[in-house]
Amino acid sequence: MRSLRALLLRMSGLFRKSQNDADLSSELESHLRMHIEENLRAGMSPEEARRQALMKLGGIEQTKEMVRERRGLPILEILLQDLRFGARMLAKNPGFTFVAVLTLALGIGATTAIFSVVYGVLLRPLPYADSNRIMAVFEVNSEGRWSRVADPNFDDFRDQNRSFQAIAKYNDGIASVSGTSQPTRTTIAGVSPDFLKVFRVQPIFGRDFSISDAKKGAAPVVLVSHGYWKQYLGSSPDLSQSHLKIDGAVFSVIGVLPAGFQFPPDVSLWLPADLEGENPSRTSHNYKAVGRLRDRVTVEQANQDISAIARHIHDTSSEQNDYLLKDGIVVPLQDSITGKARPALLVLLGAVGFLLLVACANVANLLLAQASVRDRELAIRSALGAARGRLIRQFLTEALLLSLTGGALGVLGAYLGVAGLVVLAPQNLPRLDSVSISIPVLVFAFLLSTAVAAGLGAFTAVRATSGDLRNGLVEGGRGQAGSQGSQRIGRVIVAAQIAITLVLVVGAGLLGRSLMKVLEVNPGFRVDKIVTMDVSLPWVEDPKAKAGQAILFSNLMDRLKQIPGVRKVGATSGLPMDGGLPDGMFLLMTENEVPKTMDGFGALFQQKERIGNADFCVATDGYFQVLGISLIRGRIFDERDGPDSPHVAVISESLARDRWPNQDAIGHTIEFGNMDGDLRLLTIVGIVGDIHEYGLDVPPRPTVYVNLFQRPRPAITLTMLSDADTRLVTSAARGILQDLNPEIPARFRTFSQVYSASLGSRRFNVILTGFFGIVALLLATAGVFGVMAYSVSRRTREIGVRVALGASSSDVLRMILSQGLRTIFIGVAIGIAGSLVLTRTVESLLFGVTATDPSTFGGVAFLLVGAALLACWIPARRAMRVDPLVALRYE
Amino acid sequence: MGERADVWQGTLALMVLKTLQALGPLHGYGIARRIEQTSGDLLAVNYGTLYPALLKLEQEGYISSEWGTSDNNRKAKYYKLTRAGRKQLEKEAREWEQTTEILARFLAPGKESA
Repeated sequence: MRSLRALLLRMSGLFRKSQNDADLSSELESHLRMHIEENLRAGMSPEEARRQALMKLGGIEQTKEMVRERRGLPILEILLQDLRFGARMLAKNPGFTFVAVLTLALGIGATTAIFSVVYGVLLRPLPYADSNRIMAVFEVNSEGRWSRVADPNFDDFRDQNRSFQAIAKYNDGIASVSGTSQPTRTTIAGVSPDFLKVFRVQPIFGRDFSISDAKKGAAPVVLVSHGYWKQYLGSSPDLSQSHLKIDGAVFSVIGVLPAGFQFPPDVSLWLPADLEGENPSRTSHNYKAVGRLRDRVTVEQANQDISAIARHIHDTSSEQNDYLLKDGIVVPLQDSITGKARPALLVLLGAVGFLLLVACANVANLLLAQASVRDRELAIRSALGAARGRLIRQFLTEALLLSLTGGALGVLGAYLGVAGLVVLAPQNLPRLDSVSISIPVLVFAFLLSTAVAAGLGAFTAVRATSGDLRNGLVEGGRGQAGSQGSQRIGRVIVAAQIAITLVLVVGAGLLGRSLMKVLEVNPGFRVDKIVTMDVSLPWVEDPKAKAGQAILFSNLMDRLKQIPGVRKVGATSGLPMDGGLPDGMFLLMTENEVPKTMDGFGALFQQKERIGNADFCVATDGYFQVLGISLIRGRIFDERDGPDSPHVAVISESLARDRWPNQDAIGHTIEFGNMDGDLRLLTIVGIVGDIHEYGLDVPPRPTVYVNLFQRPRPAITLTMLSDADTRLVTSAARGILQDLNPEIPARFRTFSQVYSASLGSRRFNVILTGFFGIVALLLATAGVFGVMAYSVSRRTREIGVRVALGASSSDVLRMILSQGLRTIFIGVAIGIAGSLVLTRTVESLLFGVTATDPSTFGGVAFLLVGAALLACWIPARRAMRVDPLVALRYE
Repeated sequence: MGERADVWQGTLALMVLKTLQALGPLHGYGIARRIEQTSGDLLAVNYGTLYPALLKLEQEGYISSEWGTSDNNRKAKYYKLTRAGRKQLEKEAREWEQTTEILARFLAPGKESA
């Protein structure tokens, strides 16, 4: 009650200021008078009486200020007053304000932009109900790598676990879909019945999958995404007539999923998995798995649960080989999606944080120069009754004004920057679509600005109000206020700036050198002038139908060759750098060793000397020519290799070397039927050069190539080597396909698009860290320049005296440069020490260079010293030209 | 003179209230002098501490003030105790006695053992 009353009175005190002030003045006046009179009665002289009274009572103005603070609501009042005053001070120094705000905007804006990516990709919860309870489940193989799950293993996980309330498997792929306005290549997912329960999603129309939909031979049904429904099904709520032809089979649409649900990413259609029955092998890893934890089950408990089931499978399965799982693991779905992107994003966030520090250091230096100009103002204000806390508050308010303005500008910049980042970002960065300047990002930017303000404000306040403020009045008379102290602090800041910049530029340099090393790698194939065309036909089992598809492809390629400008045409099951090829184990065997039963094959897989591991690629002879994959020995496919002649294979150089050391691989026969179900032996007829299929920074994989016309498959990528304009080739090819079969959609790209996308994440990191490095370098150089120029202008008099006493201009130059050099070298030394520690964090992103690469360290140090020396040079030149007469009169 | 201690904030309010109870309405100077004298000149009261304390008491409603004329015909602001102030004085005095009593008990055996 009492405090409420006091609060009300104090609020009213805000308004009756002058009346109250006059009251207080006369009250204090009468107090003083009475004191003096008493002193007079005690027999003092009038002067002495007054002096004693004043000494005893303390400063009148300070007292007034203390009473004033008690009277109004000081926090509010002072804040308003400080804001007004701060704004006036900033407006009085437009140059300073402009540079400081801009520097802060740059730092805060860049940090906000990168944070928005980090937040959108790593931190923002997945858009599903209680998404932190959704887990991904993996098998762990004998090498400790995580892999997809095999059907029987998934069934065991599903039936035996006690941790999940729902668990489902899924895979995704591209399919040709017709039955709507136009044929499309659409991403589809095959899912088990509980899939939507894991995500707690219900169809907005129609129904979810039932158990019977997933039974072998059930009537084919499909769920469609909201977007697909709008675009291709005309948003019709009546689904009874909606049918889609997916890879040749007709599916009834049974439901529409809510807008925004899209898992796996880009999927528009969900169908029941295993309509043709499950694969009984425990080593065919065809599905990913997700589950929703039961209430009160921890990730750790689920992990132990799944792990125990997996180890039991490992101990009891009859399929004992390297492909059998050894363990199982459960991780939050979000981590499994974004895990790979995490290290690079955190490195970027660290880098931009360093940039922010460098920017803040520059502003701190500017404020320092300002503050020493203001020492006099401070001294006067404190003499007029401003308490130290009040002055500190004033500095904090000014810093807050600066950094909030900078922050607001920075957020505006970040809006644009984020759009740019999303364009620049590698396409394989997960969850890129959830990157935006969202509320949490804005909160981050605000907190960041406030933190910057607190740091800068506290720094200037402590510096400016430490020591006896009256010195400001004394020293200020000579115009040398606080020069020694603030220059020392300025040099410390600059050294720190150089150190941080060095770390940042070294990091960028290491990433840049890695990119260069990667680009130096010979990919083993040509990139330019290749147009690619993805085509997929319905998946068929019947050999005759398969042969028919091969004939269609053959006709297609014959006609593509006739497009003007197209020199060669080929086809492959998978382009390099584009998602990878399936891999598996093959058997070395001859015709008369072929076993009669499947168990016989199983026994052969136990013989280590018979098995080999390779990627499996289906291709045509033209593919090798289009990509310029070199033939090392033997031959590639030709007319001899028809569907009924002996099946042949071409293998990569590294496979030949590793599997047939010291002998000729050509002429050997292998069995690779587990890849496509064709058990005919393959005779090796040729050896081709290695190619980097998975990226230049990944060693080439051993590869077995088989002939598309002997081992047909429905989904292929056609490649055309052409001198003609890409658009002309594309439209001609589209017309030819339309002519052959109007129901087949195609996707066109250029191979250089595919290729450069594979370098996307590396390039993204280099561009960003490089940009941050350059900006930090510029800021640090400006910082050095500022401090040196300030120091020279402060020392003009001293330099004048030195020159007058006989110092030559080269002496002056040496003096200034050596002062600068000392700062620079200290900064560089600290920076190198810091880099040695910090570059370890980028180790996983490096290629071909070590984290302590001496030439990068040396080069960067050299660059930095050079830039900083240049920044010293201009002020030093100015010092050299100081005219002693002018200098001595200076002031 | 130089040895005199400043009054602590908490106790100053109590001393002001007690002074006003003992002497009736009084101006700032009178309050300060009275406190100094009562302390046997062991305490110094300057206006930097006195006037904010007076303002606080007034805002809390324990004292009220009005302008009047002093003994030697000077204009001065007079403070006097309100009813709430009287109650507060009793309460604070009681609490203070209790505190000192407790502290005295703590300190007494220490002296013996020393």
